Amino acid sequence: MKYMLLIYLADDAMNDAERESCYKESTQLTHDLNASGHYVAANPLDPVATPTSVRVRDGKRAVTDGPFAETREQLGGYFLIDAPNLDEAIRIAGRIPGARKGTVEIRPVMEIMGQPTG
Amino acid sequence: MKFMLLCCHDDRDWDKLSTTEQEQMIEEASQQVSQIKSSGHYLSAARLHPTSTATSVRVRDGKRLVTDGPFAETKEQLAGFYLIEASDLHEAIDIAARQPGARLGKIEVRPVLEIPGLPT
Repeated sequence: MKYMLLIYLADDAMNDAERESCYKESTQLTHDLNASGHYVAANPLDPVATPTSVRVRDGKRAVTDGPFAETREQLGGYFLIDAPNLDEAIRIAGRIPGARKGTVEIRPVMEIMGQPTG
Repeated sequence: MKFMLLCCHDDRDWDKLSTTEQEQMIEEASQQVSQIKSSGHYLSAARLHPTSTATSVRVRDGKRLVTDGPFAETKEQLAGFYLIEASDLHEAIDIAARQPGARLGKIEVRPVLEIPGLPT
């Protein structure tokens, strides 16, 4: 079963040095998860660039600056993992450095689109 | 440049659609995947189960706190994502606007930070 681990952090949760060490620790975690067969993908999102929101209503495009949810926390990055069950996904989520500063939301993946199955 | 397209909507708006409308949107989304694949923009995409299946994990002082539900009780929630390669934000916005999810809720476009040394 695939799980998306979404890392939500307040924009002031980390200073530059902490962010740098978070990336290092996260990179190490990706290698550990790769070795244990849990790793599918991981990416940090740009913490500085303003998110752009795109809506289409009645065929017209509305583009606005700003995230989809007006909360202090923003999606800072994600891990996509393969785990046999939620308990294991929770254990892995607890190893993500972002879990110490923010929240990791675990979402089961319904399907990976456009990829060969089986 | 890599961009993450976060497809967000209110689960209730999705539930209001008829089964046929839902199937049409799913079909349209997979056609979009084929299109951006052949144009070389596609990296990956996934649909997520609704937030009723979400679990949130925090670690404080070395202790793990696990709660049911998404991290924030907002109206619009993440329903799926696309990871794409685009030359700039404008191209990423063009691709986002073609996704059926842009009509139901909205699509948040976020640049991905390229960090070296991730497993391939």
